[in-house]
Order: sequence, then C-alpha cells, then structure tokens
Amino acid sequence: MTTSTGNLQADNSLNRPIGYVVGGGLKANLFVRLTIPADEVQEGGFVVLESGNWQFYGLVTDLQLGASDLRYAELPNQQRLSPPAMKLLTDQTLYTNLEVLPALMLERGPAPDAPDYPAWAQSHQGENAPRPLPIKTVPAHHAVTRLASAGDVAEIFGEPGGANFIVGRTREQDHPVCIDLEKFVQRSSGIFGATGTGKSFLTRIILAGLMQHDSSSILVLDMHNEYGFDDTASDTGMPVVGLKTKFPAKVRVVGLGRASTIRNKTPDLHLEINESDIHPEDIELLSRELNLRETTSATLDALVHTFGSDGWFTAFKNMVVGSVIENEDGKKVPAPDSVAFWANEAGANPMAAEGLRNKLNRVFNRPYVIERAQNDAAAPNSLNHIIDALKAGQHVILSFGDYESDLDYLLVSNLLTRKIREAWEEMTNAYRSHGTNEPRPLVIAVEEAHKLLNREMASQTSFSAIAREMRKYYVTLLIIDQRPSQIYDEVMSQLGTRVSGWLGDENDIAAVLSGLAGRDALRGMLARLQPKEEVLLLGWGVPMPILVRSRRYDTKFWEELQGKKAPRSTEENLKALGF
Amino acid sequence: MTPIAIGRLLRSNTSACVFGCRINQENAPLFGEMVRIPLSNGLQLYGLVSEINIDDDGLVRQLVTAPEVSREVIEDNRQNRNMPVEMSVVFIGWERDGKVSHTRVPTPPLSLDEIYPCANPEIVHFLENGRFGYLRGLLRNPELPAADLLTAHLRQVMRAQQNTNWIKPSLREVIALLKDDYPVLMDVLSAVSEIL
Repeated sequence: MTTSTGNLQADNSLNRPIGYVVGGGLKANLFVRLTIPADEVQEGGFVVLESGNWQFYGLVTDLQLGASDLRYAELPNQQRLSPPAMKLLTDQTLYTNLEVLPALMLERGPAPDAPDYPAWAQSHQGENAPRPLPIKTVPAHHAVTRLASAGDVAEIFGEPGGANFIVGRTREQDHPVCIDLEKFVQRSSGIFGATGTGKSFLTRIILAGLMQHDSSSILVLDMHNEYGFDDTASDTGMPVVGLKTKFPAKVRVVGLGRASTIRNKTPDLHLEINESDIHPEDIELLSRELNLRETTSATLDALVHTFGSDGWFTAFKNMVVGSVIENEDGKKVPAPDSVAFWANEAGANPMAAEGLRNKLNRVFNRPYVIERAQNDAAAPNSLNHIIDALKAGQHVILSFGDYESDLDYLLVSNLLTRKIREAWEEMTNAYRSHGTNEPRPLVIAVEEAHKLLNREMASQTSFSAIAREMRKYYVTLLIIDQRPSQIYDEVMSQLGTRVSGWLGDENDIAAVLSGLAGRDALRGMLARLQPKEEVLLLGWGVPMPILVRSRRYDTKFWEELQGKKAPRSTEENLKALGF
Repeated sequence: MTPIAIGRLLRSNTSACVFGCRINQENAPLFGEMVRIPLSNGLQLYGLVSEINIDDDGLVRQLVTAPEVSREVIEDNRQNRNMPVEMSVVFIGWERDGKVSHTRVPTPPLSLDEIYPCANPEIVHFLENGRFGYLRGLLRNPELPAADLLTAHLRQVMRAQQNTNWIKPSLREVIALLKDDYPVLMDVLSAVSEIL
C-alpha cells in the first residue's frame, strides 16, 4: 500500500465532483449523471465513486445524451426564451449520463473526524490494511463521482519507482500510470494495435523499462531490424535511439547469417544454425510455408530413425533426387545416394520422400544453415552463445537482417525458442530438485506473432507451449502483433497483460478482449482510441482496465529512465558486463 | 409608517379569497403583487392578486349607451358606485410568530378582514424564509394564469430585492415542478423571458 487512506481522503478534497450515481449494476455498468459539461470527461476516463465507507473505481465506457422529455432535445427554444431562461432550462432538462464500468472497490472507513474512525484505523493496520478488491457490490444512489486524482491512480497502479514503471498517463488529468514489471514478466503479455499506431515505440518503451529494471533477460526476435541499433522513424523521419545505444553493455545484437550487417553496423554476434540442430518439428511447422504434405511426418520419422536426430538433416541434404544406376540385369534402379534408394531401404514412400527432398531445398539453401562437426571448437555454436548470454542476464536482440522472409523467421525463431525452452526447463528442474541457482526470468519478444501462433501452427511451435505453461519455467512471451484475431485463442487467453492501441477490425478487438470481464463495454473504447499514443491496458497484469496516453519514446523518456548519466566506475562497468 | 388597508374581505376559503375595494383606491395592488391579511388570532396570510374584476351596475349600463357622457358623470360613477372592484387573491403562505410557511393557510380569513399591500421588506422576509414551496400551488392550479401570474410576481420580487439572485433558484424550482409538462413550462418560461 503506497498511499494511506488518510492521504487519499485529503487528496479527494481537491477533486470536484463531476456527477452522481443514478442507476446501473454490476452487469449493466453504472450510470452517473454528469454535473459538469460533457466535454470535460472522455471515454476511458478513470473515475472514483464515493459511497459510504467504500470507494469504487471505474472506467468511463460511454457517454449518453439524455433529456427529461424528448421535446426539450428535439425543439430548440432559443427563439422563444431569453438566454438566461434557456440556460436554466437546458441545465435541468438536458443531461449527459456516463456509463461506468466498475472494476475495483476499496474500503476507506469512516471520516477521520468520526468517533468510530480510531477503532476502524486500529483494526485495519498491517496485513489488514485496506487494499483494492474486485468489485462485489455497487455504490448507492447519488454516490458522488469524481475524476481520479494522482493519489487514486497511485493507489491502484502503484507509485512510480522500483518495479512500477510509468507506461503512460491518464488522459484527462495527466497522472502517471504504472505497470508492475515484476508482475508483467510473470505471465505472457501482448502489445497490439493496427499498423502505424505506435506498437514499435511502445514495445521499445516497455523493453527499455524491463532492461533498466533488470530483473529478467530479454530476447527480441526483431524481424524488421528495429530495436537494436539507431533507426529512423518511418512516418516522421526522426531518429530513433536503439536499445543497444542506451544499454551497450547489457544488450547484444545478433545478426542472422555470416557477415550480416544491421543498419550498416556489425552486430555483436553472427547467428548460424548447425544442421544438426534442426529437428523434424522445426520442419513440420513450415508445412504451410513449404506446402508440405501429410506424408511429411512419416518421412521425417523414417529419416530420424535411419540417421538419428542430429544427422538426418545433413544426410537428407546430401541425397540426390532421381539418381539411378543400372543393375546386373540392365534395369535402372535407384542409385545408393538417391532419395528413392534410402526410402526403399527404410520402408518409406519413395515418391513422398523425393517430394519432401525437393521442397526442403529452400531450407537446405539457406546460407545461415551450416554443416559443423560436433565439438568443433573453431566454429563455436552461436545458438549456445545466445542462450548463455541470456542465462548470464544479458539481453539479446536477434535481427534478421536481409533474411526477412517468413521461412527465415519461422525456422530460426522456433528453433531458437525450442532450445531456450529446453535450457530453462533443465535449469528450473535443477533448481527445484537440487536447489541450484534460481533461473533468471526470460521474456521472449515476438514480432508478427500471428505467423508463429496462428491456429495451425500454435500446437507445433514452442511458442504456444511457452504461453501456456512456461510461466512455471521462468519463460514468458511478449507478443507484438497487429492482427490478434489471427493468434490462436488458447494462446490469447493465457496473456496476462494486454496493451492495445487502436484496432479497426471487429475480430481483432474481440480477440484482445477475449476472456476479460466487461469486454462489451470496452469494445467500443478500443475502436475509438486515438490512432497514436493512446493505449488501453488490460488483463491480469493491471489491477483494472485503463486508457492511457502512452509515453513518448524521446530524449525526455531516456532522461527520466536513466537520469543524466554520470560516468560509471570501472567496477560498475565490470558488473554490467557480467563479471 | 402605519400601513393603509386597501380593502376588506368579501369571501374566502383556505386556498383563495376575494376582497373588495374602491375603484380609485390609490395604493391598490396590481395583478401578481403580494398582499397580506393579518388575522385576529396572530396569523398573517400572504397571497398574490390573481384576478381583478370590475362588474357593471344598472347605471353603468345606461351610461354606456348614452351618446355623450360628461367627465363629471364619469367621475361621479367611479367615486360613488355601489359595486366594489373585486380582487381575487391566491394564498401562497402564512406566518405565525415570525415563522413563515409556504403551505396552504390553516384557516381562511373572515369577512371584512382588512387586506394590506406587502412592502418590500415583507416580500423579502416571506421569500427568504422558505424553499419556494408556494410555487407548487401556483403552477399546479389549472385555474390560475400561471405564466403571467409568475412573471408579474417575479417582476415585483426583483424590484423588492434589488437584485436577481433569487430569480435563478426560483426558476430552477419552476422547471423542476413543470419539466414533465412541456407546454405549460414553455409558456411560463416564455413569459418570464420578458423580465430576464
């Protein structure tokens, strides 16, 4: 509890009432008659309703014009009445009702000067201190309603500082709204919004907050090479500072492929994938991309059975399609190096195997897929380097460089994630069984998430497993996408914190709100967000839904986050480097 | 200054009364103005003049058909006529021991009780000791010309109070009472607009 109830009450006196409760309920929302001009309150406003010993917190989801008799609204009377009479008539017969989605309630106790206040205060100390509870009842008729003060916002979303990271500010009164970064990384999260709504900037802001807080490692699958090095905003042309620039010792930019460059800069590490690291499941998730048939699984099974899980890929790559020799009878038969020869030997369907071999050419030809001898010290395993860096508390931004095709993204991201999943499961099991070091939480930020987490692929990739169950193994996802409706429902339902900018498509809106209380009331709000810099925070990770103006990713942001940087000591530099 | 009675009561009940006065009474109240009737039991009743009647008599009937009526005859008829001017008063409240109530009067005045016009301090005293309750009776009585009566009353109040601070809350009460009766409310506000 960051703000005492007493402070709250003092703070409240600074806030004038904006209306009073006239009806509603838990299911139908509350209705508040507005007593101030309607243009002073907007949809998404965070309001407080004071009723007896309780304080209720809610979100304005609609504003409705009303009239005590329709004729007052329909028939303008300016010609008949003098301006003062007209104003008096308008004030009393035409009104605006707020529809408020009630979310939380907090016991505030009697007034501090009431005789029963000391006893109440005595019994509500320490563990019994009042804390916001999910809404279970409704305020009384005529309960005074006001816009939330800075104290109210802090009471619910926490005081800025520590793990409480300011993600934006309330729209009407500009109070800072925080997300709890410790809680944020405990479950998978999502950042959504149509193209051009500022998803990338918001993602940078949250990633910067996580990196600054430094309680978890972050792997960013940066499909469009945006996050590592300095960039230029596509819409404004303004320079955009990269995370590597601000966290040079903590962030490692990895480029896909040998000699890859990102924004004309050389990454810290080049990622090449060993053929032995590619497993059949990595191929199966490319089914749609490579147009694979139903027989693929059987063929891959046979390959693994013949050559082992580490050797099947290289062996299959070296086979030749259609190679024949003449046998003793002069008949043409499959040559020993042919696909058909192996298929006949292994009991697989030769036609299916040859078809698969042809389709896998696209994978065999990827320049970043290399053949490397086991334990070849001269060619270190860059996948393992990435995992080691993450384990050591560093952050990795994997930029795909020129490899921007879906095939590259699907193959590399899934393979890397599968390896990470194995590593973190192993660490967690060791920690639980033998009391070794607790694994460092890891957040995997996934751009264009619908490519990996759509209905068809979700069950095959490691990502859906992470979203569903890896919370226990300290790994969560940060999904970034513009088409949340394309993401598998089961994954969406597991997302703890959802941050959404404007969405135009009904299905996308429904997907973002799936599984949340009050989604009908929030639906319209999501569709009417400002196209830029307005986001709705939702889900388990925030105490209640709230609309905020997101922070700007600019110099001021970095100054607020990192302060005016003083030169670091050698010890600090060594510590930052992981020594 | 000793107040001067303007007439005496002809008939009454607990909601209204009629009093008579001479036609050329100098301080006769106008339509909509406040009057008071002190009773012998310590009560004082307040009302608004809601109608003024001047009935004819036999002589007037003859005179109006005469080709020429001299100035002296007209004056004589007005000074010495047998029929009084009848003023209807709708009660708006009462007072006892300095406490004002804006409710129906507890007892009607008696025949020939004297009626006095309200001076400005008396008007202010009556208005400031209540919550506009008397407006209810004025506005919901279908037999009264609510719009014009209220306008005339407010005009006198503004004169008496020297400011308009009282007008807004009183009109809010009017709107609250009549907002479900659109035609009447619009008539009232339209009439009141003349003085706002």
